[in-house]
Amino acid sequence: MRVGIPHMGNVYIPLKALFDRLNIDYVIPPVNNQRTLSLGVRYSPEGLCIPFKLTLGNLIEAAELGADTLIMPGGTGICRLGYYAKTQEQIIHDLGYNCEMVQLGVSEQKLFGLLKIIKRLSNYAPWAKIISAFRFGLAKLNALDRIERVVQKVRPVERIKGTANRLYAKAIKAIDKADDYATLKKVQTDYIDQLNQVNKDNQAQPLIVGITGEFYVVLEPFSNLDVESELGKLGVEVRRTTFVSEWTKFSLFLNPLGVNEKTRIHKAALPYLRRDIGGDGWESVGEKVLHAKEYDGLIHLAPFTCMPEIIAQNIMPSTKETIPVLTILCDEQIAKPGMLTRLEAFVDLLERKRRKGNNR
Amino acid sequence: MIRIGIPTALLYYQYYPMWKTFFEELGAEVVVSPPTTQDMLVAGSSRVVADTCLPVKIFLGHVLSLVGKCDYIFIPAVRSVKSRVYNCSKFLGLPDMTRAVIPESSPILDIDIDVNKGKRNLHQAIYQLGRHFTWNPFKVRQASLAAWQAHLNYHELMSSNNLTPPQAIERISGTTESEANSSYISSTQATIAVIGHPYLLYDEHINHRFISRLKQAHNNVLTPEMLSAEELQSATARLVGRAYWTYEEEVVGAGDHYIQNGADGVIGIMTFGCGPDSLMMDMVRRQAGRLKTTPFMSLTLEEHTSEAGIITRLEAFLDMIHRRKRRQVTACV
Repeated sequence: MRVGIPHMGNVYIPLKALFDRLNIDYVIPPVNNQRTLSLGVRYSPEGLCIPFKLTLGNLIEAAELGADTLIMPGGTGICRLGYYAKTQEQIIHDLGYNCEMVQLGVSEQKLFGLLKIIKRLSNYAPWAKIISAFRFGLAKLNALDRIERVVQKVRPVERIKGTANRLYAKAIKAIDKADDYATLKKVQTDYIDQLNQVNKDNQAQPLIVGITGEFYVVLEPFSNLDVESELGKLGVEVRRTTFVSEWTKFSLFLNPLGVNEKTRIHKAALPYLRRDIGGDGWESVGEKVLHAKEYDGLIHLAPFTCMPEIIAQNIMPSTKETIPVLTILCDEQIAKPGMLTRLEAFVDLLERKRRKGNNR
Repeated sequence: MIRIGIPTALLYYQYYPMWKTFFEELGAEVVVSPPTTQDMLVAGSSRVVADTCLPVKIFLGHVLSLVGKCDYIFIPAVRSVKSRVYNCSKFLGLPDMTRAVIPESSPILDIDIDVNKGKRNLHQAIYQLGRHFTWNPFKVRQASLAAWQAHLNYHELMSSNNLTPPQAIERISGTTESEANSSYISSTQATIAVIGHPYLLYDEHINHRFISRLKQAHNNVLTPEMLSAEELQSATARLVGRAYWTYEEEVVGAGDHYIQNGADGVIGIMTFGCGPDSLMMDMVRRQAGRLKTTPFMSLTLEEHTSEAGIITRLEAFLDMIHRRKRRQVTACV
């Protein structure tokens, strides 16, 4: 049995650590690139969103590399995502690969369901081993996200643009290589120190832009053309609440105990959207309302034809709490120059708005 | 008397007799929006972002046409009507979205229908809705029982008499003047099954009178409503296992059933940007491609679909079916 996984941001690194520790045979398909996208677009039904197309491309590339067990998130009551594994399985079968699809129910199986799937994949390894491997995976995930948060702060104020990104790329590699807690800890503190020592413009008061929207396009830089780095280059500090480590922390451990980090966001959205509409639509509206005072602007990322985000996009302009919102629809047609022009115009608008506010 | 407006779009075709009975039992008057027109579509589209799907734009057009003609507009948020089967986000967000994009609309009555939250929750939701009309819970209970009975009768009427939803609604409300329409055509050319959601198949503006065109060309037309619930369920289970979407059976179930028996050709109607349909139609298309028994065509509709384009594709499809049938006949001789 050889396991193949789709990509989403850096999630493959913790998964790799998990598989290594459990001696699971696996392939990691190449990180998202033009070929992945072309493969996904060619074999997908036309009306589907970019997450489907990219993950399909990943799974096809994994199958090409000899994977016979493909893992794909799914579940009920979210959005189309629940149907993806079913459709992708048929597409991959029709292409002639004899792969088994393992659906990871993100909404209902929770921690135990996830562990049970890992147990099956690991050929029934003892529980102690699974749990220790799982913990190590989580530690890597947390380290990655901690460094990313620092990178987000450094990007807008660094004097030599691109330093933070270079360090970040190195840090990712180092975390990937680390194979015990001590090294991991050392790598993490090392890189955070280095990032803090980057030559910075201490006078700068960067604009603050929140990023919200659909989970996958927010977290996968390939699908949003690395909007965070581009904003960093324009001297804008990016804030976002969506992190994979946060998501795992809450949806696997704390939600079953009744703690929900999103209650605050949902409450904020309540006057405009009274119910969960699946996907991240409720959160998108809520974040706009909640952060209208703190942020200078908001970038709303959504895949083209995403059902919940269309609803959110329709509701957003009618909220009483006003803040400039730029909606960027991500699909295979999106091009960097077009996006940069829009980002520059948006940042100009925010700067003007801030100057006007200061003068008053 | 309180007047309740019901837009003639989306879930209207599935539940109208039920809603009408419920409100009338509670002493309200029901106002229905007129059939879809181009003006409604334009008015509805002007309120929302461009990539909202066509049926929702038309729905908003209907809501706009009801503004000022009623005291409340009834827009339910139907989350699930079966256990662990959910609906498209657009249906869930419909009341909130309408409120946001049509601020001038009459107050919106919304009700959360989610059977996964348990019976108690559903009863409470119905009672909350009934409270707008009466304080007496027994009256609400009576009205909802009558409404449920009306719903069952409506579906019984459709499946036993092979009626389409608009015909059944006409017969229930007693305005059956278009009886000549359903007169049996003596020499049918072919039997064509049309699959898709009722709000696409029976809204003659969206689909450019698709079903009447098929009938005019002397074809016998089959629709998902003509199949029994068991037939739909077993066909869905055969193709995809457990249904994922609330209205999956009318696409996947009906599609798989008609591809395997009873039809010379199957046509799927969907709209551009429809989340569930983009996946479900693909399932049916793949199944048709695998079995190679019945030709399948999928038509994607949007605002820009021109009548001529639809006619051309329909004619080509029918020509192909007729050729196929002729060849089969000569092969037998």
